[in-house]
Amino acid sequence: MNVNEAINRLKEIQSTTNACVTIIEHDVKTHEGVLSDVPIALKDNVITKGILTTGGSKLLSNYIPPYNATIVDKIKQAGGVIVAKTTLDELGMGGTGTASFNGPVKNPFDLTRQAGGSSSGSAVVVAAKAVDIAIGSDTGDSVRKPASYVGVVGTKPTYGRISRYGIIPYASSLDHVGYFTSDVRLAALMCDVLSGQDKMDHTSLPYPSTTLAPQLHDDVKGKVYGIFKEVLEAIDHPQTLKNFDAVCKALESKGAIIKTISMNETILRTCLPTYYIIANCEATANHSNLTGVNFGLTQEGEDVETIMTNTRTHGFGPLIRKRFVIGSYGLKDENQDKLFRKAQKVRRVIVNEFNRMLSECDGLIAPATTSTAPLLEGANMNVLSNAHLIAENYMVLANFSGAPSITVPIMPVDGLPHGINLTCKIEDEATMFQLALAIETCVKERL
Amino acid sequence: MNKDIILSLAEELNFTLSEGEVENIVNEFHSLQDLLSLLETIDTEGVSEMVYPFESPLLTLRDDEVTHELSQSQALSNAHKVKEGYVSVPKVVK
Repeated sequence: MNVNEAINRLKEIQSTTNACVTIIEHDVKTHEGVLSDVPIALKDNVITKGILTTGGSKLLSNYIPPYNATIVDKIKQAGGVIVAKTTLDELGMGGTGTASFNGPVKNPFDLTRQAGGSSSGSAVVVAAKAVDIAIGSDTGDSVRKPASYVGVVGTKPTYGRISRYGIIPYASSLDHVGYFTSDVRLAALMCDVLSGQDKMDHTSLPYPSTTLAPQLHDDVKGKVYGIFKEVLEAIDHPQTLKNFDAVCKALESKGAIIKTISMNETILRTCLPTYYIIANCEATANHSNLTGVNFGLTQEGEDVETIMTNTRTHGFGPLIRKRFVIGSYGLKDENQDKLFRKAQKVRRVIVNEFNRMLSECDGLIAPATTSTAPLLEGANMNVLSNAHLIAENYMVLANFSGAPSITVPIMPVDGLPHGINLTCKIEDEATMFQLALAIETCVKERL
Repeated sequence: MNKDIILSLAEELNFTLSEGEVENIVNEFHSLQDLLSLLETIDTEGVSEMVYPFESPLLTLRDDEVTHELSQSQALSNAHKVKEGYVSVPKVVK
C-alpha cells in the first residue's frame, strides 16, 4: 500500500465508517528509514504541528498545534508519511466509538455495529486495509478491544516504553501509547520505532529504543501460556470458547505448555469500579486546562469566568460532562478517602494479585471480549455480572500494572472478527511478540 | 447524590447541565453506587495508594536548561483574541 493508494482508500471508506477527522494529502517523506514511504494514521489525540488536532472534542475542533508529539517526530525520522487523523471517543473517554464530536465510527465488517473505542478510527483504517499501521492510545483497553472487534493486531507496550509527550491525556497513571498493525511482525517493528527514553516525558522508561523485530521468531517450545480461568468461566458464547480452545491446542502441538491460572474473583470484580474512579478523577484534573482562554473553540462572555463556562458547556459532550461530575465527586474532600484513595489502594491489591499470576507463566491469555462487536446502540448486559465485570473489562489489568499486552485476531465468531489477548511481564515485550507471533502462525495454519 | 450536589459540582467544573442531564446523572448514580460498593469488599488496611503502575524510580531531575520553547506568535496562534502580544480577555478589575 503506497501513500496515494492509502489516501484513496481512506476517502472511499470515510462515508460509511467515519474513521477519520482529517485525511492528510500534503505530508511527504522527510527521512529514509524502516518506514520509508509507509502511510500511517494517527489517532486525533496525537499532537501534530500545523495539522488540526481535535481530541474528538468540539472544544478543540479548531486547534492547530504549534509542535509535534515525540512519536510523530519518531515516525517521520523513520520515513513514515502521515495520511490521517482518526476519529476517537471524546478525549479518549469511551469504549464504543460513538462519542466523538464528528459522529459515530462504524465497524467496516458490519455497519450496524461499533468498532469499539476509544481508538475507533485507527482500528478501522487498518481493518479496512487503508493503512498497515495506525497509532492509538490505551487507558483501559482502548486499543486492544477495538482490535478484537475489527480483526487486527492491537498492541500496548509497557507503561513508559513509548513517550506520551504530545498525547492529549485522559488519565495519566493509566495512559499508554498503543497502535494497530496488520500483523505481529509489524507490531514488533513499531515498538522499535516508537520506544526509547524521552527527556520530554519524565515517565518514559530510562532505556533506549528496543530492537525486537530482527530477532523475532515463533518458537514457543517449552513456553508457558497461562489461561485466565475466571475470564473463561465468565464467557458463555460457545463459538468464542471453541475458537480459544482450538488455538490453545494448536499452541500445544507446537510444544507450548498450556496452564490454567486463577485470580481471586472478589478482587477481580473490583477492576471496573477501581478504573472508573481513578480514570474519571484523573481526567477531571487533566482537562481543567481546557478553558477556551488560550486555545480552543472559545465562546464569548462578559468576563473570564463566563468565557470558560460558556466554552466548556458548548465544547464538551454530555458523556464527558457526566464523567467530570463523577470524577469531581470522587475528589471532594469528604469523598476522597472512601472513593479516590480507596480505589488507589484497591489498585495495589489488584496489581499484586495480577503480578503473581504473571509470575506463574510466560504470558497470560484469554478471549479479548466475550463475543463480537456490539450493535451501535450498545450492548445490554447486567453491570454486576461476571461477564461484564470480568470478561468484558479484565484487560484494564494491564493498565493498572503497566504490563505489555497485545490482542491478536483469531478465527471469526458468528462471521465477525474476534481476538485473543495476551499479557506478559513488565518490560518483556520480546516474549510478548514471540508468543503473539506463535498465535498468529497457528491461526494462519488453521484458516 | 442529588440535583443540588450535581449542580454545585458542575458550577465548580465551569459548565452548565441541562435538566435532562442532571436527571440522567442522578439516575445513573444509583446504579453506580452498586458498582462502587464492590470496593468495600477489599480489605485495604495497611495498603498504601498506588499512583503509578510500578514503583521504579521513573522521575528524574533534569538540569534547569531551556530545551525547547515556543515563539510568542506560536504561543498565541490559537488564542481567540490577541492584543499587543498578549491573550486578550474582558477587563477583570471593574
